[in-house]
Amino acid sequence: MPSTFFGWVGFLLKQYGGLFLSGTLTTLLIALTGTFFGFIIGLLVAIVRTIEIPRGMGPVKRAIRKLAHMLIGVYIQVFRGTPMIVQAMVIYYGSMQYLGIDMERTMAAILIISINTGAYMAEIIRGGIISVDKGQFEAAHSIGMTHWQTMTTVVLPQAIRNILPSVGNELIVNIKDSSVLNVISVSELFFQAKSAAGTYYKYFEVFFIIAVIYLVLTVTVSRVLRFVEKKMDGPDNYVICGSQSDSRSEIVVSKEQEQEVDRQWQSK
Amino acid sequence: MAEQVIEIRGLHKAFGSHEVLKGIDFAANKGEVVCIIGSSGSGKSTLLRCINLLENPDKGKICYHGKDILTDETINMPQYHAKVGMVFQQFNLFGNMTVLENCMTGQMKVLKRSREESMENAMKYLRKVGMEAYVGAKPRQLSGGQKQRVAIARTLSMDPEVILFDEPTSALDPEMVGEVLSVMQNLAQEGMTMLVVTHEMGFARAVADKVVFMDQGVIAEEGTPDQVLGSPKHERLQSFLRSML
Repeated sequence: MPSTFFGWVGFLLKQYGGLFLSGTLTTLLIALTGTFFGFIIGLLVAIVRTIEIPRGMGPVKRAIRKLAHMLIGVYIQVFRGTPMIVQAMVIYYGSMQYLGIDMERTMAAILIISINTGAYMAEIIRGGIISVDKGQFEAAHSIGMTHWQTMTTVVLPQAIRNILPSVGNELIVNIKDSSVLNVISVSELFFQAKSAAGTYYKYFEVFFIIAVIYLVLTVTVSRVLRFVEKKMDGPDNYVICGSQSDSRSEIVVSKEQEQEVDRQWQSK
Repeated sequence: MAEQVIEIRGLHKAFGSHEVLKGIDFAANKGEVVCIIGSSGSGKSTLLRCINLLENPDKGKICYHGKDILTDETINMPQYHAKVGMVFQQFNLFGNMTVLENCMTGQMKVLKRSREESMENAMKYLRKVGMEAYVGAKPRQLSGGQKQRVAIARTLSMDPEVILFDEPTSALDPEMVGEVLSVMQNLAQEGMTMLVVTHEMGFARAVADKVVFMDQGVIAEEGTPDQVLGSPKHERLQSFLRSML
């Protein structure tokens, strides 16, 4: 048996490395797919919520719209207003006892995270849509686009860019908070750690390793998201195509060059 | 007699208890340039926004080639929007698209044109407004005057019959007003029907076939530029014109 802290860490890694790896993969799987489906749920909810009443909408349609809004309101309130650990217990055991559905645990985990994240995403995306200038809607309508076309081609691309930092937050929260799903025995990272730690009563060493793994995951994810944001913003430069008399000339104007020109101007 | 493209009868619009339009009667013939002037709050912009259905009028008729767009079910709304274009004070270029995409997306989505056709058409109009060199730029990289010229090209790309201009130069730096006005002047000479809400009296005098003065939700005076701007009868128009100098 090892005697030092690092000795134990090495020993446990050798002994349980496979277990930690599978736990990490499960955590990543449920966090990523859960965030993805949550995002889709949020997107649909937000689109429904931003539909304006068109001219001459019948009373039946109006009622349906009102009902939909009410249900969405309840959904958001309930899933933002209760802890995910409780939702997990209620959904998993509730569906088993009263609906007779014995869900596969990883599937149940993905379902719970999706529904929970959807409630937050709905509000985040609604905020993103509101943040897009009203003029963008008007311009799109004025060239004849429908609500759906306006949303998918003009508004949502801008809204999603604006909310990407918040979406990243949600993903990071999900990587960490999926650990609460150990209560329904999902074999994610925390659950695996608990079983590994119990064997030798080495809680500190095991959870030290687990903390490092979580940290590596979240740092990596935030880096990737930052990269995606930069990609979406596109380059700072643009190409001015040559004039008709000089069709092959291309001038690349960069911010630096513009500033240089400004400086030269000011010094004159 | 020239063909009437837009005809408005008894148009009313209120925001809450505030009545902005109190019965507007007005018509624009094909190929006419109508300048709408008046102090702020007189309802000029609201009138244009009603014609484009960005606001729903409370009462009255807006006829396009004799068909009331508010009640006639046979009118295809996207087609109507394509035929009656709008240029905004704040440009409202789509921020997520390049200059070229801004001019193509409406053609492809609304008019269902092919990508090649849309691009060809977009380039034609970008050339016309002198912005063909900037096809790859994003709106945030352009100056105000350049943005407005692209916005005009975007509207033209839909091959409209009428263009509504809502104070197209009011958000521009003074040195950029000229480039936009000269684009508009060219359009007018080519026979485009235009309704222009503007504070540019020089433009109204030089280009307009008809000038309409709006005051407190009604049309107080209308006529040729010489009549309205040269020898105003209405007292409020006289003081308005004095304040513009």
